[in-house]
Amino acid sequence: MRILAVTACPTGIAHTYMAAEAIEEAAKKKGYEIKVETRGSVGVENELTSEDIAAADAIILACDTSVPMDRFSGKKLVSVGVSDALKDANKLIEDALKAPIYKASGNDLVDDVAGIKAKRKDESKGAYKHLMNGVSFMIPFVVAGGIAIALSFMFGYDAFQQEGTLAAYLMNIGGGAGFALMIPVLAGYIAYSIADRPGLAVGMIGGSVAVQLNAGFLGAIVAGFMAGYVVNLIKKYIKLPKTLQGIMPVLIIPVFGSLIVGLSFFYIIGTPVAAINTAMNNFLTGMSGTNAVLLGLIIGLMMAFDMGGPVNKAAYAFGTGTLVAGTGSAIMAAVMGAGMVPPLGLALATFIFKDKFTLAEKEAGKAAAVLGASFITEGAIPFAAADPLRVIPSIMAGAAVTGALSMAFNATLSVPHGGLFVFFAVENVAMYIVAILAGTAVTAILTGMLKKKIEV
Amino acid sequence: MLINEELIVIPVQQKTKEGVIEELAEVALSVGRIADKAQYVAAVLKREEEYSTAVGFHVAIPHGKTDAVTEPFLMYGRVEKVDWNALDGEPVDHVFMIGVPEKEAGSTHLQILAKLSRRLMKEEFRSELTEATNAQAIIDVLKKNELL
Repeated sequence: MRILAVTACPTGIAHTYMAAEAIEEAAKKKGYEIKVETRGSVGVENELTSEDIAAADAIILACDTSVPMDRFSGKKLVSVGVSDALKDANKLIEDALKAPIYKASGNDLVDDVAGIKAKRKDESKGAYKHLMNGVSFMIPFVVAGGIAIALSFMFGYDAFQQEGTLAAYLMNIGGGAGFALMIPVLAGYIAYSIADRPGLAVGMIGGSVAVQLNAGFLGAIVAGFMAGYVVNLIKKYIKLPKTLQGIMPVLIIPVFGSLIVGLSFFYIIGTPVAAINTAMNNFLTGMSGTNAVLLGLIIGLMMAFDMGGPVNKAAYAFGTGTLVAGTGSAIMAAVMGAGMVPPLGLALATFIFKDKFTLAEKEAGKAAAVLGASFITEGAIPFAAADPLRVIPSIMAGAAVTGALSMAFNATLSVPHGGLFVFFAVENVAMYIVAILAGTAVTAILTGMLKKKIEV
Repeated sequence: MLINEELIVIPVQQKTKEGVIEELAEVALSVGRIADKAQYVAAVLKREEEYSTAVGFHVAIPHGKTDAVTEPFLMYGRVEKVDWNALDGEPVDHVFMIGVPEKEAGSTHLQILAKLSRRLMKEEFRSELTEATNAQAIIDVLKKNELL
């Protein structure tokens, strides 16, 4: 038997750990495998992974505070207060094994998608994981900033130059605050992923230096990785006597880390990185005609290929990178449009070709339409998983059509996420919609032609 | 240091839960671990109201997280069968009282408290505590269990 448990209490000083110990002891006596996640004042320790949960026979929650529950959907689960675990951990384990299956609210497809996303997050490793950690923390800043800027532009493109107007304030919120923070946040959370909390300050300061040197998105990535590894080196090689260890995270690491990263930027790497960044931006913004269409096509293929996996995320990260300039990006528009097509196309296919899908798939089609409209490419995964050889080529073709058309029409987007809900931030939105509809139709028709009839 | 001999009281004179907390807090005040006794005691009692910190096995671990704490501390008090509304209904013999500042940056002392909490669940650790008759002996038990 494999048992998992989560313990947490409001102060998180004692009972969290006593309950953990009690459950661990009781499980060991029974000869069961046990892992306990403690959510105390020290933070989350011994966190349960998707693999742990998948392999578990039952879950025990001994918590007096709320803890993330969705991850336990589909498992036997018993939820009690911390004190119950102290009173009788033995009985608690028996109860858990007899407990009903926990079902997270929300419909199945959305759950599946969330599960797949969580699993991928656990699996991602190394540099990619650090980069994605940075990107995921950065996105809210870009979305908030980008939408504020887009709202400002609705008063006219130069309305913000008029001081004291709403348009100017919106621009200050979006450009002056949101976009100004996003590069330091990206660098900071890359470093955080590498070196944990001490990395954050050094990374954010490094990112700010990169901004000052016009090294942009690329500079932030370099600064973030450098900060993370520099902090790790400081932790490893600077050894202080025990009584002084307290000053490591508040004094030694931030000061020396920031100086090392900052000065390396000013004296050594800042200039070349800035040059590369500028060249890249010029190349991308200057690209037009056949090249642009080809790029859109490749972006489309990448977005659909693994539906939210590393290839998709690489294209996506590339798209967000082109946003840093602060104006609309044709590449970002192509990325979002192409990313919306796979679930949308499959949803349309379930609607048109009713005899090619199971009842469950037809139901899932409705959810996929919503996911697609919200630019959650992962919505296509359940269909692709069931029939990859027919579905994946169909969605790649549709997404490629949308990517290429979006670039050809020169639609631009100034925010990195939101799907249908950020269409007001799209320039040339009519043709953009045409591009998305065309791709959706291609995917739907190809899927319908390739898939076999369901035997009744 | 989270705990030292000055923070060990054997035996505690008071016979009630509130009395024991007051008496221990007075000691914490006298050695400068808290700045405001009333505020600290209020925080501890408020925590007790949520549910008793007497976790069974004759042990209670009252704790307060408040600005009144100037330096994190752990206290040990030997009491005699004090009623603490324990989960198992038994009276309390050992009191570990904890104080943590509201804005505590480091986590070292929290790690130690987490470890203490886990140790309390072990029969052996509890009997070693019971056998210790003076402050030095308590310190030795804590050292032996890697809590110091």
